[in-house]
Amino acid sequence: MPAALRRLNLVRLAPLLWLGPAIALIGVVVLWPVVVMVQSSFQQIGGEGFVAGYNGTKNYAHLFNEPDFVSVLLRTLVWVVVVVAVTVFISLGLAQLFHQQFPGRRVARWALIVPWAASVMMTALIFKWALDPNVGVINVILHHLGVVKQLGSNRADWLGNPTSALAWMMGVAIFVSLPFTTYAILSGLQGIPRDVYEAASIDGATSWKSYLGVTLPLLRPAILVATLINVINVFNSFPIIWEMTRGGPGYETATSTIYMVELKQGDVGQSASMSVINFLLVIVIVLVYLSTTRWKEQVDQ
Amino acid sequence: MNKKYPRRLSGAALAAAAALALAACSSGSGSSSGGGSGTTTLKLVVADYGTGPGNASSKYWDGIVTAFQSAHPDIKVNVTSIAWTNFDQQVQTMIQNKQYPDITEGDYFSNYAQDGLLYSASDVLSNPGNLLPGFKNQGTFNGTQYGMPFTTSSRTLFYNKKLFTQAGISSAPQTWADVQADAAKIKALGDVGFGLPLGAEEAQAESLLWMLGAGGGYTTDGKYTINSPANLEAFTFLKGLVAAGDTEPNPGTVNRTDLWQQFAQGKVGMINGSPALIPIIQKAGVLQSSDWTSVPIAGKSGPLTVTLGVCDNVAAFKPNGHQAQIKEFLDFAYQDKYQLQFDKEYDLLPATTSATKALSSDPVFAPFLTALPNSVQYPSDTSWANIKTKIQQTIGTAVTGSPATELGQLQQIASASAS
Repeated sequence: MPAALRRLNLVRLAPLLWLGPAIALIGVVVLWPVVVMVQSSFQQIGGEGFVAGYNGTKNYAHLFNEPDFVSVLLRTLVWVVVVVAVTVFISLGLAQLFHQQFPGRRVARWALIVPWAASVMMTALIFKWALDPNVGVINVILHHLGVVKQLGSNRADWLGNPTSALAWMMGVAIFVSLPFTTYAILSGLQGIPRDVYEAASIDGATSWKSYLGVTLPLLRPAILVATLINVINVFNSFPIIWEMTRGGPGYETATSTIYMVELKQGDVGQSASMSVINFLLVIVIVLVYLSTTRWKEQVDQ
Repeated sequence: MNKKYPRRLSGAALAAAAALALAACSSGSGSSSGGGSGTTTLKLVVADYGTGPGNASSKYWDGIVTAFQSAHPDIKVNVTSIAWTNFDQQVQTMIQNKQYPDITEGDYFSNYAQDGLLYSASDVLSNPGNLLPGFKNQGTFNGTQYGMPFTTSSRTLFYNKKLFTQAGISSAPQTWADVQADAAKIKALGDVGFGLPLGAEEAQAESLLWMLGAGGGYTTDGKYTINSPANLEAFTFLKGLVAAGDTEPNPGTVNRTDLWQQFAQGKVGMINGSPALIPIIQKAGVLQSSDWTSVPIAGKSGPLTVTLGVCDNVAAFKPNGHQAQIKEFLDFAYQDKYQLQFDKEYDLLPATTSATKALSSDPVFAPFLTALPNSVQYPSDTSWANIKTKIQQTIGTAVTGSPATELGQLQQIASASAS
C-alpha cells in the first residue's frame, strides 16, 4: 500500500517538472519585481539607491501633492486612448488592403514590417531631427509648401509647444504600432472562411454590409488581442517621448511612465510609488476593457 | 554640512549620446576585485568634453592610461566615456545598481560622500594642497574634501560682431536694456537675438546668470531663496524677452549644446558661454575670430562683477577597495602636462595651483584665470542634486508661464528637501 501511495504521489507531482521552470521564471521575473516595487514605494530611498528606512505613506503623499501629478495622469489617459484607437482604426483599413490579391503584395507586406523592426528609439530620434525648427526636413518641406512661413520660428518649433509636440509624438507612436496591429488583424482576416462571405452574398449583402455584419464580428478576437497588447505597450511607451521631448517643457508632455523615470533621478521611493500607481492603472484599464468587450459579446448573442 | 558640486563645462554631440548610453550600459560590471597580487583593473568613468570623434575625451584619457600602464603594468584602467547629457544619470544608475566605478571625472555630488562611498582627497592624492583652493569648498563635505577639481571654467557673454554691425549696433551689451534692444534689432535681421538655453541640459546655469544680474541667486545666507524678489524680477524680464520673440522659440525646451552650435553657425546674436564654446565656433568655421568676442555678462544695470565659476570634479569610490591603485593613477593624471593638455584641447582652465602658474603667461587664458577668484558657485548642500534636477526640468516654463508660480514651486521643493 505505502509503495502504491508513494507512486501515486510521485505521479501527481510529475507535472511540476514541466510547470516548475515556467513558474520559477514568472516568480523571479514578474512577481518578485512587483514585490520589490511595492516594498520600495513605502521606503525612503534617495537618488543613490540607499534605503534609509521605512517611510510610511509619505512617498504617496508627496506624489499626490506634486503639482503636475493630475495633469500627467490625464495626459497619459489621452495618450493611450488616442494612440490605440487611431492605430486600430487605421490598421483595420491596412489589413483589409493587404488581404487583397495584388501584384507585389509580398513585398508590400515585408515593407510594413520596417517601422516595427526598426528600433523605436531610432525612429523617435529621426522624427526629432526631421522636426528641427531650423534644418529639419519636415520643416523645410512645410516651408516650401508655405505652411511654415519662417524656419526657426515658433511655428516651426513643433516639439517646443506641448500641444503640437504631443500630436507629433502620438503620430510616431501610431506609426510604430501599426505593423503589429495590422498583422494581428490580417491573421484574423485570413482565418475567416470564404463560405461565410458566399453565404452573405447569396443573402444579398453588399460589400459594406458584409464587412459590418460578417467581417467585424468575426475579427473581434483579433481586435481584442491587438487592442489589449497595444494598450499595455502604449501606456508603458518610453523611448518616443523620452527622445523627442524628455517630457518637457516642464512636465507638460510627460506621461506617467516618463514622469516615473524623471522622479527616479531624485527620489527612488517616490518613483516606486508612481510605478505602483502605473501598475494598478494598467490592471484597471485592462479589466475595464475586458469586461466591456465581453459585455458587448453577450449583448450581441 | 554638505557640499556638492558639479558643473558641466563642455558641449557634446547629442547624436553620440544615445550610442554612448548603450555602450555604457553594456559595459556594466567592472572586472577584478581589489587586493591580492596580480593585475587590478580600475574602472574610470569620464564625461565627454569632445565635439566629435576627433577630440573625444576618451582619446585624452587613453593617452594618459597608455603612459600610466607602461609605468605600472600591474594596474589596468578601463575608460568609459559618457556624453554630458547623460553623465549624472548614468553614474547614478551604476551606483544604484551597485556597479561602482573606481574614479569618475565630471559632476560630483556630496550625496556620495554623505553615503560614505568616497575616498577623501588626501586618501588618494599625494599632494591634495595643489588643488585650487577657490574650489575646495565645492568638494567639501563635513569638513573633508572629497570632490577634487579637475578642470575649471567661468562664464562670459559671447556676441556675434558681424550681426551687431549689420544691425547697426556699435557697442557691447552691458545691461538688460542693451540686451533687449540689441536682441530686437538682430531679430529683425531674421536671426535669434539672444540664445537662452533653458532646456533640461543646463537650465540651472543659465538661470543663475540671470538671477545674479538682478542681485539674486539660488541661496541667501545658506538658505534656498529661489523665488526671491530679485529672481522673480530676472524671470519677469526673461519672460518679456521671450514674448517679444527676441530669443529662440520655446527656450524651456532648448539645450545649450544645440544653441551653441547655432551661435557657431552665425545664427544667434548673443549667448552666455564658457571657453568651451570657442572650439565649437572654430570647428564650425563660419565665424572668423574677428566676427565674435566675449565680454562680462550683462546684468540689470551693468555688467556682472562676479560670474558663475564652475569646476568639474574627480571622485574616487571606495566600494571596490582600490585605494592604492587609485592614488597611483590620480597622482599620475594630475601632472601639470596633462592638466595643460586638457585645457588646450577643450579651452578650459586648470584646477591645480602649479598648472595655473604654468598657464598664467598664456595670453588667451590669462584673463579667464584672473576672473576665477570672483566666481559664484552652485549651492553645495546634499539636497542640491535633487533640486537641480527639478530646476533643469521645470524652470524653463517660468518664461512662458508664470514666474511666480514656477519659482514658487521650486522654492517649495527646495525648502522641503533641504529641511
